[in-house]
Amino acid sequence: MKGFKAAGILALGMAMILMGSGLSVAAKPILIGGSLPLTGKFAETAKWIERGYRYWAEEINKKGGLLGRPVKLIIYDDESNASKAVTYAEKAITVDKVDLLFGGYPGTAARAVMPVAEKYKKVYVSMGGHMKSFSQGYTYSFGGPPLMGEWWYLGFIDWMKTIPEKDRPKRAAVYTMNNPIGASLLDSMKAMEKELGIKIVINEKYNLPLPDATPLIMKAKQMKCDILFSNGFFADGVMTMRAAKALNYNPKAIVQGVGSVIPAWTKELGKDGDYVFSGTALHNKLKFPGNKKLNEVVKKRWGLPAYPVYFGFGYCWMQTLQQGVEGAKSLDQTKIRDWLKSHEVHTIAGNFKFDKRGLPKPYNYLTQVIDGKVELIWPLSVRTHDPVYPKPHWK
Amino acid sequence: MKPFLKTLLFLCIAGALALPWLSPPVYFVSLLFIVFMYVVMAESWVLIGGFAGYLSFGHGAFLGIGAYTTALLMNHFHLSPLWVLVSALPAGAVAACIAAVIGYPALRLRGPYFALITLCFAFVMELVVKNLDFLGGPEGLWLKAMGIDVGLARGIFFEVMFVLMVVTVLTVRHIEFSRFGVGLKAIKEDEEVAQTLCVHTPRVKLSAFVLSAFFPGIAGGLYAYYLSYIHPETVFNIDISILIVLMALFGGGGTFMGPIVGAISLSLINELLSAFLKAEYARVIYGLLFVVLILYLPDGVMSFFRKGKSADT
Amino acid sequence: MTGILVLQSLISGLMIGAIYGLLGVGFSLVWGAMKVINIAHAAFAVLGAYLAYALLKMFGLDPVLGFFVILPFLFFGGMVLYRYLIFPVMRARDIVVSSMVLTFGCAIIIENLISLIGSPDPRVFTTRYTGKALFLGPFAFQLPQTVGALMALGGMAVLYIFLKKTHTGKALRASWQQPEAARLYGINLKRISMIAFGLAVASAGLGGIAMGFVYSFDPHTHNLWLIYIFLVVILGGVGNVLGTALAGLLIGLLNGLSLAFFPYQWVNVITFGVLILILLVRPSGLFASEV
Repeated sequence: MKGFKAAGILALGMAMILMGSGLSVAAKPILIGGSLPLTGKFAETAKWIERGYRYWAEEINKKGGLLGRPVKLIIYDDESNASKAVTYAEKAITVDKVDLLFGGYPGTAARAVMPVAEKYKKVYVSMGGHMKSFSQGYTYSFGGPPLMGEWWYLGFIDWMKTIPEKDRPKRAAVYTMNNPIGASLLDSMKAMEKELGIKIVINEKYNLPLPDATPLIMKAKQMKCDILFSNGFFADGVMTMRAAKALNYNPKAIVQGVGSVIPAWTKELGKDGDYVFSGTALHNKLKFPGNKKLNEVVKKRWGLPAYPVYFGFGYCWMQTLQQGVEGAKSLDQTKIRDWLKSHEVHTIAGNFKFDKRGLPKPYNYLTQVIDGKVELIWPLSVRTHDPVYPKPHWK
Repeated sequence: MKPFLKTLLFLCIAGALALPWLSPPVYFVSLLFIVFMYVVMAESWVLIGGFAGYLSFGHGAFLGIGAYTTALLMNHFHLSPLWVLVSALPAGAVAACIAAVIGYPALRLRGPYFALITLCFAFVMELVVKNLDFLGGPEGLWLKAMGIDVGLARGIFFEVMFVLMVVTVLTVRHIEFSRFGVGLKAIKEDEEVAQTLCVHTPRVKLSAFVLSAFFPGIAGGLYAYYLSYIHPETVFNIDISILIVLMALFGGGGTFMGPIVGAISLSLINELLSAFLKAEYARVIYGLLFVVLILYLPDGVMSFFRKGKSADT
Repeated sequence: MTGILVLQSLISGLMIGAIYGLLGVGFSLVWGAMKVINIAHAAFAVLGAYLAYALLKMFGLDPVLGFFVILPFLFFGGMVLYRYLIFPVMRARDIVVSSMVLTFGCAIIIENLISLIGSPDPRVFTTRYTGKALFLGPFAFQLPQTVGALMALGGMAVLYIFLKKTHTGKALRASWQQPEAARLYGINLKRISMIAFGLAVASAGLGGIAMGFVYSFDPHTHNLWLIYIFLVVILGGVGNVLGTALAGLLIGLLNGLSLAFFPYQWVNVITFGVLILILLVRPSGLFASEV
């Protein structure tokens, strides 16, 4: 029986894994574990989150650690596969016996890990998976701060209200990618229609990857839409912008989903990426303490003018977690959870009080890309640059 | 030699069965659960892809169909989560029915054309589920949590998947040496000749295809529960379809042992690499593994055992 | 009004289709000639796009010209790959499946090496003609897309002429149609195959650059491109260069038409659905295989 020989070798291999992993249980430092999509589709963003986490750990270790103990990160690569994210969360919890979990990326992975965190009663501070994931009744999950499609355009709506009605756009073309982020963004489209009186003339969803943006722009132009919502990622956003330029489509404003706040947007698009509005829950020009220092660090290490938004998110989620631990003065997960639900945390993204679902009060900033920089437009108190509206025509 | 190996195999099975109750870290239970799932998938794939030579590039779709059927059944009838064990069976049946509908016309296609049509089918399934809101649409579906200890829940599902794996392996092994299996292999060698040898090729192919969708359907039901949150991009992921083909071929596609060896070794090696190496290096070495294996054993791992030491060619 | 939209969708669909065609041709050639399914084909396309991007960023070299700089490297790389990885595996019982596993490994390696040496950020070409368009009446021809499509047509024409007119090309075709006879005529199969493989990889690089004019790309993109290659090649008939080109255009056409007439979220469903129907009606693809 040739098969049995193979079975024997496999059994040996499995035994080796068991032993290898069993040995690596460390005693002293506080372990923080989980997985990020370091390779595959979402690698680019995950790399920055990882850097944010690592920088936070470095900083806190310099200051003498968390609760007086050093911090050690255990970061697995889930290969952009939500199923692997679940397995690695379990590995971190049951094999490495981590004291704390860190948040994963993207929304689909966070959605899959949140129930795991709940089952093991582990506090899970992450971007979350939009409103749907926070209404599942999980008690250990926190969006600190969350990336909420439902809130994404709050800043935009509030700012638009300050524009005299006659200068506002009248007809909107809305193109949305067909995934959890897109579905959540569509929610804020309804609010916009109601509160601003902008009529949605085109409302189309598309599946990624977008094959071609030319017909989209052509249609928006034909229907005389004077505001374009491109609720997508980087790849489809770039195509839409370029098609708009090529077809000389000049709406009063172009609003981009989540593509324009990552560094590649300004780096790759240059001037063509200017004047695009978008939302964000965090920005490197916010005045909350800590942002300046992070900008300097990123400038020194990676030569960027200011920190990329996902670097900030990584750092910020860790800040929330850290304050939970320090507030509870213990690693007891339930105590951390209860502390977080009853106290305010102070992060680089602002000060948050979490409700029963683990969410702060709805908030979002409006950004606009101006001269190759992502500037804050709204609320007025954080404004770094006057908005350019209506959008200048293509040159 | 033989009795020794038999004992070893017996010990392996007994060990696997006992594993969840020895309170190991739950991770190992979950990891093996996923490995078993891939064995079920690759093993089922061999029926149509390995024996009959019809390379299906859309087998992951049946996993997704199973997952969604189970999730919808559970959510629609508000079943207690333990029912998943029962509701996974109709999931298998649904997958098998869809396979029959697809397979009937598709199996008239030969070689690459069959591969393409199954690939297209997998894509269409993912997109349709994503586009239809009553199936959860782009938001995906949540499953209710089981009200028992997570270790126990994982243990139960582990055992069920293990049983499913054993059933699948035994079925495929039985088929390999049966009339049915001989018919399938005849089809792979030469379909026209097979027909003249009184093999009713359309029926044989279709039965193999339907059966090869049934087990992944059940596995999908269990997988849905394991994940608790399913999304078209997770369970209909085309990478799964391609991965199971590679697992079967890695082990050696023509026999029932191949996919077992392929699925287990690839999953575990990948896990080991990710545990000890930096992300991209792990992937590069994983890639090298395929290259080196094929350079030395072009017909997959099992060819090493088949030839023994006598053959050098 | 809608008429214009339909035609516009068709125009851009066809341009993108031409690029799919070019990507498919090399894949088809290798599959037809040596029964090798090169899963890494699209990874080479991405590699080509990255190299061209690097030249563009470092020396401001236009990607179209950049191709001629990287052409020898890709050609040589393809030959080496054939000589040291593919050729030794030719002894396999089933070369189709063995080559698939082997080149799958290659694709993973290329993807992650790009990611290691560069970074996983998405890239796009930005040239002088980016964001410009040529207007013929109401129809817009986006210049980057047009350049990409012209490159694709040029590349396909060169490959076609090579196969039909040159001595090496004729020998290549002869050797895959009748390997025994070809050997009798003293054709060196190994050398010919090496050249063909090199050409296929080079054409993948060109196709990748053309894709870069239309889409953004990152190291992972090859998985996506590969699917389109697969579609185009099988529909067009394995080994059939002209058929592959036409299939590329057909898929572009389908995409364009469904963009004009259906809700966008159903476009891909329609495209794949129509492909399934085509295959059911014509079980051996649209065009004959030249195997």
